[in-house]
Amino acid sequence: MLSHRRKLECAACLLAAVYVVVLTAGFFAPYSFATQNREAAFEPPTAIHFRDAQGNLYAHPFVYAADGRSEANARYPIHFFVRGAEYRLAGFRSQLHLFGVEAPGEVHLMGTDGYGRDQFSRFLYGGQISLLAGLLATLLSLSIAVVLGGFAGFYGGGIDELLMRGGELFLALPWLYLLFAVRAALPLHISQAQVFLLLVSVMGLIGWARPARLIRGVVLSAKQRNFVIAARGFGASDFYLLRRHVLPQAYGVILTQMTLLIPQYVLAEVTLSFLGLGVGEPMASWGTLLASLQQYYVLSSYWWMFLPALLLIPLFLVFYAAADALQEIQKSVPL
Amino acid sequence: MRYLARRLAHAALLLIGVSIFSFALLQLAPGDYFSQLALNPQISAHTVAGLRAEYGLDQPLVVRYAAWLRAILEGDFGVSLAYNSAVGPLLALRARNTILLTGTAMLLSWLLALPLGIWSAARRGTWGDRLGGFFISTLLTIPDLVLFLLLLLLAVRSGWFPTGSMVSGNFDELTTWNKVRDVLAHLILPAFGLALAALPPLVRHVRSAMMEALDAPFIRAARAHGIRERRVLLRYALPVAANPLISLFGFSIAGMLSASLLVEVILSWPGIGPLLVESILAKDVYVVIGTVMLSAVFLITGNLIADLMLFASDPRVRIE
Amino acid sequence: MRRSQLSARVLVLFAALAFARLEAVAIPVSAAQATEEKMVTADFTGRAGGTLRVALRSEPKTLNPVLAVDEPSREVIRCLTADLIHINRGSLKTEPALAKSWTASRDGKQYTLQLRRGLKFSDGQPFTADDVVFSFQVYLDEKIDSPQRDLLVVGGKPITVQKIDDYSVRFEMAQPYAAAERLFDGIAILPRHLLEASYRGGSFSKSWNLSMDPQQFAGLGAFRLKEHVPGQRVVLERNPFYWKADRAGNRLPYLNEVTFTFVASEDAQVIRFQSGEADVLTRFSSENFAVLQKEQGTRGYHLDDLGPGLEYNFLFFNLNDLGSKGVPEIAKKQSWFQDVRFRQAASAAIDRDGIVRLVYSGRATPIWTQVAPGNKLWIDPSIAHPARSLDRAHELLKSAGFSWDSEGTLVDPKGVTVEFSILTSSSNTQRMKIATIIQDDLSQLGMKVQVVPLEFRAMVDRLQSTYNYEAAVMGLVSGDADPTSEMNVWLSSGETHLWHPNQEKPATPWEAEMDRLMQLQLVTLDYEKRKKLYDRVQEIVAENLPVICIVSPNILVGAGNRVGNFHPAILVPYALWNIEQLTIQ
Repeated sequence: MLSHRRKLECAACLLAAVYVVVLTAGFFAPYSFATQNREAAFEPPTAIHFRDAQGNLYAHPFVYAADGRSEANARYPIHFFVRGAEYRLAGFRSQLHLFGVEAPGEVHLMGTDGYGRDQFSRFLYGGQISLLAGLLATLLSLSIAVVLGGFAGFYGGGIDELLMRGGELFLALPWLYLLFAVRAALPLHISQAQVFLLLVSVMGLIGWARPARLIRGVVLSAKQRNFVIAARGFGASDFYLLRRHVLPQAYGVILTQMTLLIPQYVLAEVTLSFLGLGVGEPMASWGTLLASLQQYYVLSSYWWMFLPALLLIPLFLVFYAAADALQEIQKSVPL
Repeated sequence: MRYLARRLAHAALLLIGVSIFSFALLQLAPGDYFSQLALNPQISAHTVAGLRAEYGLDQPLVVRYAAWLRAILEGDFGVSLAYNSAVGPLLALRARNTILLTGTAMLLSWLLALPLGIWSAARRGTWGDRLGGFFISTLLTIPDLVLFLLLLLLAVRSGWFPTGSMVSGNFDELTTWNKVRDVLAHLILPAFGLALAALPPLVRHVRSAMMEALDAPFIRAARAHGIRERRVLLRYALPVAANPLISLFGFSIAGMLSASLLVEVILSWPGIGPLLVESILAKDVYVVIGTVMLSAVFLITGNLIADLMLFASDPRVRIE
Repeated sequence: MRRSQLSARVLVLFAALAFARLEAVAIPVSAAQATEEKMVTADFTGRAGGTLRVALRSEPKTLNPVLAVDEPSREVIRCLTADLIHINRGSLKTEPALAKSWTASRDGKQYTLQLRRGLKFSDGQPFTADDVVFSFQVYLDEKIDSPQRDLLVVGGKPITVQKIDDYSVRFEMAQPYAAAERLFDGIAILPRHLLEASYRGGSFSKSWNLSMDPQQFAGLGAFRLKEHVPGQRVVLERNPFYWKADRAGNRLPYLNEVTFTFVASEDAQVIRFQSGEADVLTRFSSENFAVLQKEQGTRGYHLDDLGPGLEYNFLFFNLNDLGSKGVPEIAKKQSWFQDVRFRQAASAAIDRDGIVRLVYSGRATPIWTQVAPGNKLWIDPSIAHPARSLDRAHELLKSAGFSWDSEGTLVDPKGVTVEFSILTSSSNTQRMKIATIIQDDLSQLGMKVQVVPLEFRAMVDRLQSTYNYEAAVMGLVSGDADPTSEMNVWLSSGETHLWHPNQEKPATPWEAEMDRLMQLQLVTLDYEKRKKLYDRVQEIVAENLPVICIVSPNILVGAGNRVGNFHPAILVPYALWNIEQLTIQ
């Protein structure tokens, strides 16, 4: 049985690896997220062979080109570190891809969508937007939650009542409207990614109420601890107390909330896409990839469109495992 | 009693706040219900302007809000632009259906969550617990949308369930008993989906609350006295764990409501969800505001019920 | 309880059969009921009885024919009401309905209609010229703001109606009107005895909404209202007084009931149909057509692809005079949009075949002008169909002074990068896809294009009132095959002259010519002459490309195998237009 700290380290390493792969999507993805192949709409994942129709074995994996696009049974070996479509990585231009096949052969690990775009590449590029959006919204929610929840818990009384009732108000509001309104009011020239991040930020701004409640609870109990009361007795200012003694106690909760909120905001994006507020074409995000399932013909006819959803499950499990481990560590650390 | 009065006053203030915000938000998004007519080559701008004037959409926001507030006090929730009829009756029926669905789902989810949570807390650390935990976490990672769509696919493919709506077309001809059965048959899929979506956080909370309760010294003492495990769990530990669960109950009402929007739309349940989406897209202002107010009322009632239950079960709260 | 219900039903059935039998053997219709002038429809017969189940996209909003604008309401209202002269959806020509015949005056300004005698509303009250006069009074009342009113304004003046005797009325127009007979289609005749009080009392706009008592409703349609359960269903029952009979003399309709249920989306409609819970399906995508097709053999339904309909989808640029309207960034780009070579280059670059394949799985037709190929009476076959050519597009741009920088980005003669956005409605997946493909096509010309999906009403706000947009992808469905239904689109003074509405005088010579042609065809009574005029309009559109027409989707319908006499058509309402003849086997 792994210790909780060990578990946390593993989870953190995995998440770091995912972030690295997603940030360098251009290298790992064989195609661009926008390249359309209009002859290859809704193709299932390309089968990768080691053995041809005659039963000959090959050391090098290869694919067959789709029917009608080349001579029958022509083999296209998968090459590694090949040159392909140009992309930018941290300001540099590059054409190097981890793998690829020569045209007219094609390799689509997760099939193609309705425009013949490579789903695998879109999944990797989509991660850039989704993980960034999740992080952004989470940070916004939590920073507001820390400030407001901290105040409410620390001062209590009228302020507490006001902030917590205000929180209820926020939970009840038709925030969908706000999003529609923001989207409609934006100028036309902001790029799709920016529009989307802005919408997600609005969601983050609205979503402070729940974490604020939790932080308020922690602060409430922290301020009654003996050493805080003692420090107050020595004449420490409120700000000093908050910064030095009370908020540090909430670190654990904040960190846990963060690991829980990031996947939640990534998923909330699915709902945004469901309402037509997702990231615009031709950009991809995990939310839009999942939301394409809402169309009945996709849902019922193209099983590979489920793959993004399937891949997200282990990823989110890692997030939740990290949250669990954090929680356990907090419990076991003597306060 | 004073406590209750104070809570009700808060609720009223909250509702006023929600209504002001909703009105303001509605004003922000461009276009109105009649914008759609403007694109019809066979309808003149004059006609559209006339319609706007008739429904008072050309008035300033403050005037409209004041008129709306005055009407509310007389029990009139305004007029639906699309349906050309009063909003009140429109909402009442939809609200009934939503309550039926969320109520059933709520019951179902707690009926599943309590035994699961207690069971895994009692078997903490065993393979069974871990397997259960894994299952629950996996369920948590599946987006509601995908979950509901899968249920829909199941209904279509298997033919075991109706694929939406609340009753069959020949509902009127059924006997009372068959009517109940018909509604239940339509209810089962959305309610089950909703319960599944709400399950993971509930199970986790039940489990952790139970674990905390089981760690208390008096439980250890009870065990040492040789009291049967079953009795320890249900008779001693559960009441201790009840408090956080009761406040969770209030929260879960809110979560249930937002998830029910999706399930109602996907499985065509005639609740307030489809009405809200439809009216938001159509900019049918008074219906939107009415729906939002209604969900706010649900939310507040949920919290209030939870607090009152807490009040009844835990004497310490009463002193505060 | 159950038994009594059952026996009651048996009794009703028996009575219905007996009634049918009686009529079948009956002596000529006129002899049996001397005063009732039924319309005997063409060559078909069917078995009476059964319930038709239809799933609507959303709940009808009202049953008031004067006020209804949304399609679900109209779908139901069409079953409940009747008009004077009707456009037969099968032949696209006019045919007698409540008016058994009509004559036009020599100058084409006066129409005298002879009404059928002895007809009754669905509540048994008689129908006379007073009902017609009352109906038109309501439709034309400025205070009512009926969306149909503008159809009845000809040459700037509302048409007038005058009762001659109980069974004839005279309509008068300010100018001759080519499509006069077609005006009457869809103008449902109202029962004066039920609605006059509310009309005089000023509460007409509240009457006949869905919360009314079904007893308060009566019409001349094949069905009458039985019940409405909010959020769930509207049930119609057979109108026992309906004025059509089949060849054998049986009074129509054959169906006993029609049940409309409401679902939230097209997909939900498709699922209902697939699982056999709905009998008829229209307005669905080609992707869903393919899904349904897979199980066509095993499930009890069949699908029909009727070929191209009357919808046309197009791309257009903002050609408004923005000088005074204060959108400077967009005004700067208009020098590109106003250059016809720029528009021609865009048209040449668009992969119409790709759109047909990817967006409509082949169930659509590429188009180069506004008349969709389904409109056989009016399409101009001489319009060229140039194939997609990026080379031609490059040449056109070059000749207009554009060039490309080192990265292949298009720059205008002043050295400004060509960059613009295309608006589209976020709720329409087909148009979203079209816009996405166009974006990719235009990027191959070096244009930096952004697709901006907006919620529909927000988009309309930009197109129609703030003019704050650069380009947009939209579609229009002609309400009728006749060009008069699109006057407002092609006249430069029109409110839906999308690229530059409400012009005081035509901004370009070709718009001036279009104005002249459209006005002329409106008052020309001879079809051949009108056709020539409208052909020229199509040529102007194809040459000047104020709208770049892209694609016209096919009309797709499906029906359960138990539905008989099913003859779908390419004009709205596609499937239920002959609902009085439909049967359930």
